[in-house]
Amino acid sequence: MSPSSRVTVAPKLKSLRVRELTKRFADAAAVRGFDLEVAGGEFISLLGPSGCGKTTTLNCVAGLLEPDEGAIEIDGRDITRDPPERRGFGMVFQNYALFPHLDVARNVGFGLEVRSIARPETVRRVARALELVQLGALGKRYPAQLSGGQQQRVALARAIVTEPPLILMDEPLSNLDAKLRLEMRLEIRRLHQSLGLTTLYVTHDQEEALSLADRVVLMREGVVEQAGTPEELYAQPRSLYVANFLGYRNLVPVQVGEIRGDTVSVAANGFLFTGTRRGPLAEGGAAVATIRPRDVQVVAAGSPGCIAAAIELAEFVGEGFELSADAGSGQRFIARTTDRWAVGDHVALRLPPERLLVFPSEVR
Amino acid sequence: MSAPAARRDAVQSAPAPARRKRRLDPTLLFIAPAVVLVLGLFVYPFVYGLILSFQPYGEHEADGALGSYLAFFGDPRERLSIWNTLRLAVPATVIDVGLALPLAYRLRRPVPGQRVITALFVIPLTLGTVLIAEGMLQFFGPAGWVNKTLLAFGLVQQPVQFLHNYLGTLISLLISDFPAVFLLLLGYASSIDPALDRAARVLGASWWQRTWRVTLPMLLPGIAVAAALSFVATFSVFPSAVLVGNPAGETRVIAFAAWQAAYEHFDYSLGSAIAIVMGVIELALVGAALSLRAGGYRRMRTEGAR
Repeated sequence: MSPSSRVTVAPKLKSLRVRELTKRFADAAAVRGFDLEVAGGEFISLLGPSGCGKTTTLNCVAGLLEPDEGAIEIDGRDITRDPPERRGFGMVFQNYALFPHLDVARNVGFGLEVRSIARPETVRRVARALELVQLGALGKRYPAQLSGGQQQRVALARAIVTEPPLILMDEPLSNLDAKLRLEMRLEIRRLHQSLGLTTLYVTHDQEEALSLADRVVLMREGVVEQAGTPEELYAQPRSLYVANFLGYRNLVPVQVGEIRGDTVSVAANGFLFTGTRRGPLAEGGAAVATIRPRDVQVVAAGSPGCIAAAIELAEFVGEGFELSADAGSGQRFIARTTDRWAVGDHVALRLPPERLLVFPSEVR
Repeated sequence: MSAPAARRDAVQSAPAPARRKRRLDPTLLFIAPAVVLVLGLFVYPFVYGLILSFQPYGEHEADGALGSYLAFFGDPRERLSIWNTLRLAVPATVIDVGLALPLAYRLRRPVPGQRVITALFVIPLTLGTVLIAEGMLQFFGPAGWVNKTLLAFGLVQQPVQFLHNYLGTLISLLISDFPAVFLLLLGYASSIDPALDRAARVLGASWWQRTWRVTLPMLLPGIAVAAALSFVATFSVFPSAVLVGNPAGETRVIAFAAWQAAYEHFDYSLGSAIAIVMGVIELALVGAALSLRAGGYRRMRTEGAR
């Protein structure tokens, strides 16, 4: 477990194991051979574009979908065929799925009421859950009278009030505006830590996944492309797909030159540069070089060992500028810099070899 | 269902600037044909009938303006027509809603063959009560398929009397009224967010708990509307009460009583009075049903806003 998940309460779950999970829909497999082991107290994020199978996986864990193959185990007990109502997990849905005919307190208390928990205890636990999400005063309101952020908090309170061993979240922040999203992100992480929760969190937003999770599982077309800590995925993307998903926006088709250990020289459109080898490459073969915008250095025109380019677009993005630079032959680079450059300026782009990753061309 | 909806209400109820109120929106003219139709085909005949009902005729003339009403309520046979009608309309409504509710809920999401099933349920809508009654005369007759089947399986010893009685009228009402109830409930059922059921499941609710705590409360407004419409339709039963019922006895419904007064005894005033009584009863029950719906709806959206 990564050091970032400092738990103050002992987690109720010891382990969640998903083995060889496969789920097919009419024509195609949505998830193929998905494996995952989660330790109690971990915050796991399933990341990927829409249609990658992350929500299908989550729904299989929830019991809302029945997997075609594979097993799901909680603390060593097989729950693959248990209906969702017997699993006792908490779940937060993308559209919150609050009961419109029940007030906030009864929405939150729903899971306790159906378990026939005594009324005074229900009242007490609902009040505490509402305090935890800072909605203490709104118990008598109806969902339609709440803002999106408040509805989100109710959904959270409803999911945690039964003290479930596992919390499942399906893109819970995607319906909120940017500011609220940041706020709720902190809130979710805070609840996760202070309550000792074990959380499985589905998102398509790489920033959300990296900032929230102890471990990120990046999925592609139903299979796990790479799993690891946010730092690992960020610094050492295993494939071009992962790199591209995690912010390597400059993609340059290149021809592989000399390979020396992990260093490889590549050529594209008459430029020659050096990068770091990722994966098997053959000298003379085709590859793709990629680099993050913030790693592209923009320097004065004519600097040695650089690519000559002209600034095409300059966008102010708060902490600096995002530049689009035309390096000729249709090759564009996106760069992030704090220096002010004007459209039309002739510049040179320096691509630090350790930051320029060279991947084999996609064969898949 | 979201907060913007509540906000929108607040905006709408804000007083509009006085100057705006004055000017007539020219697009309002588009409703003129509809207004003319409603005035000519509904308001005028209604008012005419209302006035007529307070102008007793013949032997009731001496009783003053309320003569026709006194005649109706004073005669046990006439009074009984209200009971005869309720006895048909209430069970027909309850049975139709009861049958349509689970079907509509089951068919709210696409299932194989759904279009065929839905079409089958809706066909009676296109037939009309008279055609249904005609069909029933053959199908449910002493030598019809139903009795033949029952006899063949030894379920009865002699043909069951399905026709020209209470049962015949009730069956015909059930058939003709079912489609509207079903379609209405189907609309309500399919508008329920399927995520609610999933949320309830994950929260530990059994099928039974989900039905009682989520599905039925959410369907309640739809049930109220469907029941109100069904009741109005069945309360004004006339053709089937005559064709497959026993209009001289147990299915002497209120619409038949009105028709008899007006066109057999040529007492238009009494006929109008009975029609007005019928309208008042319908209005009262529909009002009750809709206030139930409005209550549920309001509770969902605004209660506790103080």
